[in-house]
Amino acid sequence: MSAITSPKTSTNRRINWGRVLSYAVLILLAVIYLGPLLMLFNTSLKTMPSFMKDATSFATELNFKNFVDAWTKANFPKYILNSLLYTVSATAIYILTAIFVAFPIARGYIKHSGVVLTMFVIALFLPPALIPQFQLILHLGLYNNPIGYIMLFLVNPIGIVILVNYIKTLPKELDEAAALDGCGYFRFVWSVVIPLSKPAIATVVVLHAIGIWNEIIAPTIYLTNKDYYPITRGLIVFQGVYGSNWPTLAAAVLMLTFPMLILFIFLQRYIISGLTQGSVKG
Amino acid sequence: MSKKLYLVLTIVVALSMLLTACGAKATPTSQPPAAEKVTLRVLVHQNPPMVAFMEEFNKKFQEKYPNITVDMAVVNANELSTVTQTRLTANDVDVVDMFGFANGAQPYMKQVDPPNWQQLIDAGLLMDLTGQPFLKNYDASAIQDAGTYNGKVYEINLGRVSYSGIYYNKDLFTANNVKVPTTWTELVTACETFKTAGIPCMTAGGKDGWPIFVGAYGLLGSIYPDQAALVEGLWTGSIKWNDANSLVMWERMQVYARDMMEEGASGIAGDAAPGRFASGAVAMFPGGTWYGPAIDAAQPAFKWGYIPFPGSDNADDNKYLFGKYDQGWVVAAKTPNKDAALLYLTEFSDPANYQAFVDAVGFIPTQPTAKLSTGIGAEVAPYLANFRVGYEQYWIAPKGAGQFANPWATYFKPFGTDDDPKTLADKVQGDLQAGLNAVK
Amino acid sequence: MNYHFGRGWTRWSPYLLLLPGILFYFVIALGPSLATTVYSFTDATGIKGATVNWVGLANYKEFLLMGQASKDNLSALGRTLVFCFFVTTIQFGLGLLVAMIVNQNLKGRNFFRTLYFMPIILGAVIQGLVWSLFLYPLGGPMAKFLALFGARSEFLGGPPFVAFAWVIAIQIWANMGTTMIIFLAGLQTIPSELYEAARIDGANPWQVFSNVTWPLLTPSVNTNLTLNIIGSLQAWQLFLILIGYRNGTQVLGYLIYATGFGQTSGSVTSSFRQGYAASASIILFLLVLVLGMTTNYILQRREARIME
Repeated sequence: MSAITSPKTSTNRRINWGRVLSYAVLILLAVIYLGPLLMLFNTSLKTMPSFMKDATSFATELNFKNFVDAWTKANFPKYILNSLLYTVSATAIYILTAIFVAFPIARGYIKHSGVVLTMFVIALFLPPALIPQFQLILHLGLYNNPIGYIMLFLVNPIGIVILVNYIKTLPKELDEAAALDGCGYFRFVWSVVIPLSKPAIATVVVLHAIGIWNEIIAPTIYLTNKDYYPITRGLIVFQGVYGSNWPTLAAAVLMLTFPMLILFIFLQRYIISGLTQGSVKG
Repeated sequence: MSKKLYLVLTIVVALSMLLTACGAKATPTSQPPAAEKVTLRVLVHQNPPMVAFMEEFNKKFQEKYPNITVDMAVVNANELSTVTQTRLTANDVDVVDMFGFANGAQPYMKQVDPPNWQQLIDAGLLMDLTGQPFLKNYDASAIQDAGTYNGKVYEINLGRVSYSGIYYNKDLFTANNVKVPTTWTELVTACETFKTAGIPCMTAGGKDGWPIFVGAYGLLGSIYPDQAALVEGLWTGSIKWNDANSLVMWERMQVYARDMMEEGASGIAGDAAPGRFASGAVAMFPGGTWYGPAIDAAQPAFKWGYIPFPGSDNADDNKYLFGKYDQGWVVAAKTPNKDAALLYLTEFSDPANYQAFVDAVGFIPTQPTAKLSTGIGAEVAPYLANFRVGYEQYWIAPKGAGQFANPWATYFKPFGTDDDPKTLADKVQGDLQAGLNAVK
Repeated sequence: MNYHFGRGWTRWSPYLLLLPGILFYFVIALGPSLATTVYSFTDATGIKGATVNWVGLANYKEFLLMGQASKDNLSALGRTLVFCFFVTTIQFGLGLLVAMIVNQNLKGRNFFRTLYFMPIILGAVIQGLVWSLFLYPLGGPMAKFLALFGARSEFLGGPPFVAFAWVIAIQIWANMGTTMIIFLAGLQTIPSELYEAARIDGANPWQVFSNVTWPLLTPSVNTNLTLNIIGSLQAWQLFLILIGYRNGTQVLGYLIYATGFGQTSGSVTSSFRQGYAASASIILFLLVLVLGMTTNYILQRREARIME
């Protein structure tokens, strides 16, 4: 266990048992994670008849046609741009507003910051409000409108909770020092708090973006013009009341996953921003 | 430190640049319709063969009426009613696909809420189609049963499906010298023969629950052939789930769930069941007529037949096929495109077009002139005169009824936890009675 | 806390910059939810043009007091708490352990982190699909594995408690990645000097964990506990996809969903019952409110004590 708690253990003993144990846990979990995920990959390579016959047998035919089919039938080239537009713009607007909500709460720079935080914690489990929300968007004249759709994703209390709890760990002396240097509030948040909160911001961005990217009910209800469909809406072609075309759907999902996978791998560097983080405290 | 400071900033800038770049491309300018041009907005649920047919049909329709553009949206079946509701509210739809009217509130039912189609009509959202010429193309009974409310017609129904039959493997029946069963005793014997030969008797998608109890509809139907009367009897107390008749049904349901279903059936997903049957390993597969194409797709050379589930020892009680009305068309009452919408239904109802639709989708037709020419069509043809609407299309549970208040074989092991028909029958009636008492 | 960034009108800048976020919150989240609360006292259908009547507490009475159905609802409530307990504790413990492991300088850690996060990227429908395939009882991978030991199981189609246990396991599998990355982000805030100091003092690994890691991780602990409790109380999607509406397995979140879609009664066509569905979701809201706020209160007090 020693390696778990102290990252820099590099003793000269022959076998580092902490390391061995760590790998044992990682590999055991990896099997549990990989097994089911490989089923998806396997399915994406099967033909529909072979899937119908035996869903879990190894794909011997390597039917890459599923990927081509998925790409064209689900209208990938067109809808993926919409998905990107919604995900990127809603996430960018959200994260900016969220930081300016989280920082003063974490620092107590606004009156009743405890109450405001409680409000957001309550928002985590507010009852679903599909019909009232629909009527709101309709009356705002934003039904069947990308702006109205993006608006739906500008609130995410999970992000506020993560950010508040993270910003609390930043030393308060920073604020004082920056203020003495004549740094204004906005500039301080923008150029000091945001960079120092990279791990939390990256986490929130990943979680929020994935939520929008995978959303399926909201576009069905709010966007009825085909020009506005996100890619999840396109995937409906592979489903059916009396059975779905799972192989093509699996291929489509693998392609659909790709941008978010890249995003995660990219942002991971900021979530784990190196083990010498302590130095910023100076 | 300054280097780190601007990393996130860079991301944000990059993101917003992406945003504007995409914004320019992806915000489309929808084609401005010319003055007399009409865009007909159609909403359908996802059923791949039907959607494929509709796309073809729409193309032809637009060729014939160049001033009309059809904008058809497809949604998943379980979201259809929500999207129908929101799009009617937004006045954003003209023609909607709606499942056949079912579960109407009856005078003997107390404190029940009307089903959603009735609520929509009462709110004045569906157009009265009474007297439209295209109605004549359909069976009067289909118009009456699945599309009429308070004496006015609101829906044309496009087809029926049956779910109370059994698919059987012709080769296995021949090889083991088993005769196609027409009575319950013959079915039990057939299963024993197969099991002795090491062949599992039946399979079904037990993981999803409903394929098991839907498969046992023949048991329910052979004991209560008039399912509307059954529902009324249950509400008024003249029929009970633990009376002598019902007890026979429960005993047989236990045999069905425990002895006839293969080991492992409770873990098979509904999607996977036709494939399991088509693999040839199992002798029978109770299921709906919609599985026919899936079985053929999995194993085109496979020889199968379809019979009504023989739930009774009197072969005469086993001649009925129970089922439901599937999709149909309704028109939004406030549509600005009324003429185009009616034209659309007229064109669809044309016997040639309708025949093409039935061929594509495999429904049992609701136009008397149409024929179901698929494999499953030939199998069900002899029983079509005895088609009956099933219990679940009539049943509305009284508020306060418990979760066991239904005639479901899934309550028995291994699908559920029950082992004794008598105890279960009492529990089911108890759960129903709790509701009936609560709404008295 | 003292505000350092100027007085006079500049004192208002935190409020000003806070405004967009709060505004969105009120308009998009809180407003519609309040409307839901009002709905719960009516017989609203949600259909345009339909009449709406005030029915007082009738919807609540129906859910909590009427016939056998209310008893079934209450047992679903008990099951929800069991589900919440197992999911929260296991997901929390496992997420912490894995975060600490992949926070080390190990080969392939990026791969492992990405792998454990994959289910979240895939979303619930696909999580359900891959597990249905993995647990296919007739020749699926898990069935083959069990067969090596001469055992067999119907997994998701087995007895209700077996199916329920599998949903717990899959829920943890699906969401552990989130817990992990929140802990990972939290671990970055612990200065490595503290670890070195502890080692110089001759602390053993357990002492390092309990005196350095655990107390300094308090904010992430709070985040994760809150999110796990709330997430598991509201869970319904995996139930729908993996086992469907099955007696003996329903939890409250799924019950509400199924009620909304009429899956509970045996009818094929349901009615629009916006008012009743609203009352059921308000009841779940109150349950989560009590549990969530109590936890939050305890955690905040503990944090205040530790951070002193």
